[in-house]
Amino acid sequence: MTDKHDLLPMFKTVAARVDKRSFDDVTRASVITDLGVDSLSMMQIVGEMETELSIQIPDEDLVEIVTVGDLCSRVERRLV
Amino acid sequence: MKGRAAVVTGMGAVTPLGLDVATTWRRLLAGESGVSFIREFPTDALRSDVAARVEGFESERLLSRKETEIYGRVTQLTLAAATEAMSMAGFGGLFRADVPGATATALAPPVDRTRFGCLMSTGQGSVDIFEQQIEKSRERGPRAVSPFFIPGVMPNSGTALVSMRYGLMGPSYNLASACATGTHAIATGALMIEAGLADLMIVGSAEAATRLNTVAGFGNARALARSRDGDPTKASRPFDADRQGFVMGEGAGALVLEARDHAEARGAEILAEVCGYGMSSDGAHLTRPHEDGRGILLACRQALERAGLGPERIGYVNPHATSTVAGDAAEIRALRALFGDGLASVPMSATKSMLGHLLGGAGAVEAITVVCTLRDGVAHPSINVDTLDPELGPIDVVVGAPRPLRARYALKISAGFGGHNCALVLGDGRA
Repeated sequence: MTDKHDLLPMFKTVAARVDKRSFDDVTRASVITDLGVDSLSMMQIVGEMETELSIQIPDEDLVEIVTVGDLCSRVERRLV
Repeated sequence: MKGRAAVVTGMGAVTPLGLDVATTWRRLLAGESGVSFIREFPTDALRSDVAARVEGFESERLLSRKETEIYGRVTQLTLAAATEAMSMAGFGGLFRADVPGATATALAPPVDRTRFGCLMSTGQGSVDIFEQQIEKSRERGPRAVSPFFIPGVMPNSGTALVSMRYGLMGPSYNLASACATGTHAIATGALMIEAGLADLMIVGSAEAATRLNTVAGFGNARALARSRDGDPTKASRPFDADRQGFVMGEGAGALVLEARDHAEARGAEILAEVCGYGMSSDGAHLTRPHEDGRGILLACRQALERAGLGPERIGYVNPHATSTVAGDAAEIRALRALFGDGLASVPMSATKSMLGHLLGGAGAVEAITVVCTLRDGVAHPSINVDTLDPELGPIDVVVGAPRPLRARYALKISAGFGGHNCALVLGDGRA
């Protein structure tokens, strides 16, 4: 099972599945716009994480996100 | 009043007989059939057991793995045909691959992208993606539906993808007139060039909709043929006395249309000219053609008038010829009204006897075979005309072997569900 306190491994797995390529080198400091992930792909990744974690991530959680760590933190907060 | 002339400077095709124009044309001349038994799903409960499928197509050459998931098969075939046409026209260097590691094959030529448009169309769109996402929603709930569902399934995804790949900024949209889609795309592209809206248009069409429920739909409308004597290649038989319907096919065709002065200025090889076109509607019935073919006749007359030619100048006809009982009969009545007794000596061939009916893709692929006919001075044969239907009256269907002919001008006809008709007069391109 996924460690609910660190969503980075889940992000890598889901992103790889959605975008059909490896995200092994991604860290929490990785800037999302540098990953070459299309905006719709990003929505797909978030959607898959929502389904896997049985949570809902509101749109306002997704604004002002710069790094993968930002995204993970927002999602982790919803899990508390 | 006609404006600038639109000529053809590039062609591409992906068909049940080959993954490019040259292979498709060679096998059409050889009288080969692309029709086989449907193996993707059970056909026991269907009214047809045959289809014409594109074999050996690999999308990885042109699309990333992610894109292969987003775009349906029809869109992938569209891009493949467009890529061949763009390369032939000398625009391969404009290709902007999103595929990692891929590079453009040639230097990008100087071209005004804002004057380069795209009308790569489809009649039905990505039926496969639609089915897949509906199924996903049923299994996992609506939240599982991909955010790429709508952009992937929309019928204009093919024309969008081609425009994006080549950075084209001219007019671009999907037009749909069922089985006349490709022909309408060519006519509309030529119209845009004549009207001065663009210097270049990549136009054409594709279909890849052979699925359980589409075969059921066409079959239940009693439009499809079955294999006969255990042989799938005998199912499609336009103009034969025993014809029973069409065979669903998949494929794509693309043509680069260019203003003649623009093509001449850059020294492009001119393959043909779109001399005239006509567009009409039966205005009568959703699926059944008007019995006397009056809508088709109207489109043909408009095309000839626009080309400034009398019917006696037409040396070859590539009719719609779907192999349905009513469709072939109506079309021949229209052609007899157009050519009079002269119809008996106008060579014609039914491309669908071998390729099946590529539906939205048919018009573009068949227009490409007409360009090949004018270029090479030879018409491909029709197969399965065992007994020419006597009720059609005297007509000259090329059978048995390719027929050498000298034609400067040819007529291409398409007619679609909805009563949409489109006719083209294509010329050999000599000014």
